[in-house]
Amino acid sequence: MTSRRDFLKIAGSAGAGLVLGLRLQGKARPGAPAEPVFHPNAYLAIRPDGSALLTVPKSEMGQGVRTALPMVIAEELDLDWSRVELHQAMPGPEFLHLGTGGSTSVSTTWMILRKAGAAAREMLVAAAAQSWGVAPDQCRTEKGTVFGPGGRTSTYGELAEAAARQPVPKAPRLKAPQAFRILGRPTRRLDGPRIVTGKPLFGLDVRRPGQRFAAVLRCPVVGGTPKAWDASKALAVPGVHAVVQVPTGLAVIAEGTWPALQGREALAATVRWDEGPNAAFNSRDLENQMRSALQGPADPARKAGAAAPALAAAARVLEAEYAFPFQSHTPMEPMNATAEVRSDGATLWTGTQNPNTAQVRAAAAVGLKPERMAVNVTLLGGGFGRRSGTDFSTEAIQVAKAAGPGPIQVVWDRSDDIRHDQFHPATLHHLKAGLDGHGRIAAWSHHIAGGAVLRSWLEGQKSPGQAETEANGAWDIPYDIPALDIAFAEVQVPVPLGWWRAIEIVPNVFARECFLDEVAHATGKDPLALRLELLGRRGRVKLGGEDVDIARLRRVLELAADKAGWGRKLPAGHGLGLACHAYDRRTYMAEVAEVSVKKGQLQVHKVVAAVDCGIVLNPEGLAGQVEGGVAWGVSALFSQITFEKGRTVQENFDTFPVLRSPDMPRVEVHTVASLEAPSGMGEPPVPVCLPAVLNAVFAATGKRLRRLPILPADLA
Amino acid sequence: MPAFQLTVNGRPRSVDADPDTPLLWILRDNLGLTGTKFGCGVGLCGSCTVHQGDKAVRACQVPLREAAGTAIVTIEGLAPRGLHPVQRAWIEEDVAQCGYCQPGMIMSATALLADHPHPTDAQIDAVIGEHICRCGSYPRIRQAIHRAAKGGAR
Repeated sequence: MTSRRDFLKIAGSAGAGLVLGLRLQGKARPGAPAEPVFHPNAYLAIRPDGSALLTVPKSEMGQGVRTALPMVIAEELDLDWSRVELHQAMPGPEFLHLGTGGSTSVSTTWMILRKAGAAAREMLVAAAAQSWGVAPDQCRTEKGTVFGPGGRTSTYGELAEAAARQPVPKAPRLKAPQAFRILGRPTRRLDGPRIVTGKPLFGLDVRRPGQRFAAVLRCPVVGGTPKAWDASKALAVPGVHAVVQVPTGLAVIAEGTWPALQGREALAATVRWDEGPNAAFNSRDLENQMRSALQGPADPARKAGAAAPALAAAARVLEAEYAFPFQSHTPMEPMNATAEVRSDGATLWTGTQNPNTAQVRAAAAVGLKPERMAVNVTLLGGGFGRRSGTDFSTEAIQVAKAAGPGPIQVVWDRSDDIRHDQFHPATLHHLKAGLDGHGRIAAWSHHIAGGAVLRSWLEGQKSPGQAETEANGAWDIPYDIPALDIAFAEVQVPVPLGWWRAIEIVPNVFARECFLDEVAHATGKDPLALRLELLGRRGRVKLGGEDVDIARLRRVLELAADKAGWGRKLPAGHGLGLACHAYDRRTYMAEVAEVSVKKGQLQVHKVVAAVDCGIVLNPEGLAGQVEGGVAWGVSALFSQITFEKGRTVQENFDTFPVLRSPDMPRVEVHTVASLEAPSGMGEPPVPVCLPAVLNAVFAATGKRLRRLPILPADLA
Repeated sequence: MPAFQLTVNGRPRSVDADPDTPLLWILRDNLGLTGTKFGCGVGLCGSCTVHQGDKAVRACQVPLREAAGTAIVTIEGLAPRGLHPVQRAWIEEDVAQCGYCQPGMIMSATALLADHPHPTDAQIDAVIGEHICRCGSYPRIRQAIHRAAKGGAR
């Protein structure tokens, strides 16, 4: 694996496909429905009562996979949607790649799930046809029932046992998308009723018999270790059982979360740290290093034409520096995992985006084979990339091993969650546009300096795909510009880095689309007209070896501009701004923001979004993802993590403010109807939101904000 | 440690714990009611909102000693049989994404509607603005509260 793209391809190989005869996990409880009798593959099972148990091979963190993916199976299988129950996949021989990220859950599983559903349907039809002595093609299916000639009907429940004896079809026939009855309908999430009634669904809700709780005292400086401490103060807190050392710090084991946190506070007063080599790390010095790095050599992410001579020969060169800060994920459910180590193996219960890697790493940490480490995936109280990390699950298994028999829930509080995040890295961007005598862009250079998330992901290794990964959103600039020079200059940072909702594409598209706006204004062009001119009348083009359909991008840009009333007269102090991007070359997004700035206060009134993500599985889910993506984007305009003396300055929502209800813009979603294969929607709405808002701020005020977060002084 | 008496979801409960323990942890760890969520621990995010008497309070900010003798209602006890109209409205509007913050939101929304049966957007923002949802479900929360106010939840 050399780049994030390769990683996504591996993740995309999903499960083992159509596994025969798999027994689903879980024991029958008294009063529970009868065991499934028909389970032709790893993804579905049908009980004698006709209810269907569908296995979800991706983690649910709010993006709607536990509704959209079951819809795919139910569609091809013609299930009765009201009789669908869900089972969450666990790592094991039939599920080797459960990783959830990169907005790939639908695109990578949908053909597998369609085939799984279609194969089961053909087996049920074959069983019915056989019992009726008719040909299978004389039968049709609807809502969990097979209908035959002469008014004959059999429910899937009735047929389940006979269907299990049918051969599994190798190439089941799939429906034409035009015939879809479940897919494409606005569908509410299946977990909705459980969520609104407060059922135990999340990692922190896990309660096992004999469970204890732990809080870990970690050095606030990454890489620091405890030199000396006095455990007696912690042990004096009622309910505290033990203090044990683990690789990440000192774990206080207690009968409840509160005594664990109180014990940890008492322990913290006694500890002396060796802060290690990063005690002087700070954001200001890092920014200077990044600025120096922009002057030096950089790894090319994409070169086209001859950018250097074109810039040298340009009639006019525009240039600008853009800055994006460190960010924290801050999902509402802080990191946590529950772990138990027994003599015969171990078990984890945790909300993870990365169950297989969590399994392998946790097993290695306590000297077990991966197959002895069971990983139960709970719902995730927000993921946003943070729960791709395995630090919290590995730590929990280490705490459980050190603490002795019985399950332990390791709880992070909010300051742990922020201080020990795997941060989205800060970056500096140097952009240059060389204009010819007619004001057309002849050359474009975008150099990025900062930490490399991919290196952190690969546990310190630099891979050949690093520049491509870190410059995603910059190198796949969709505009027709003859000469391009896109490069990444790595600056080593000592804190762990991680992908964040919409990854490096957020800062890179922010810089790209804002700078393009600068070019438009500098050359007296309308920002929409300039983009349309640069997209041109092209169709499919190759970007980095992948097909991108420029016509689809153009269509969403025109749609968003049209629906937002681009060019209309606005109230005083208001402005419109826009941006577009083909996210990971697969999801075509454009957004137009309307803002006002009054007395130095920025208000984002409305964001009009247009999207082409191919076939839309669940329009209700899509709208929610656009609303959420806009919220994430607007929030990112105002938040930052900074480092002083090796530690974050921020540690809760007072110092790391995130978007709240009064500042949420109205969001309008427009979708382009398409029969193209579905792509993804969790992340694509985010990156275009930031430049759309900032370009609108320029339109409203004439102020070009090149540095995030927006500070009060910027608009005063 | 002294035992404290309180009423939780209509049931008298006796809890033997440090009087400074926040109600949040009493509910979650001592009484097994995990529907009340931990988000920030300092009263900034609203995830742990419950009713104390007829007021919505942050369970992380109410020590056991102050919860003693009062009647607490959590998300699990909001509608002992079936669904509260606000919960139904939440389902109808498909509000939840990850869902983690939603029990707290619902507890604040029901308290708001008890005080203001037909709240304005500004009244909704004043209450929901004290909560955080990182998934960005705010527009749907507002719609769900209006729906519940109209009695539109089937």
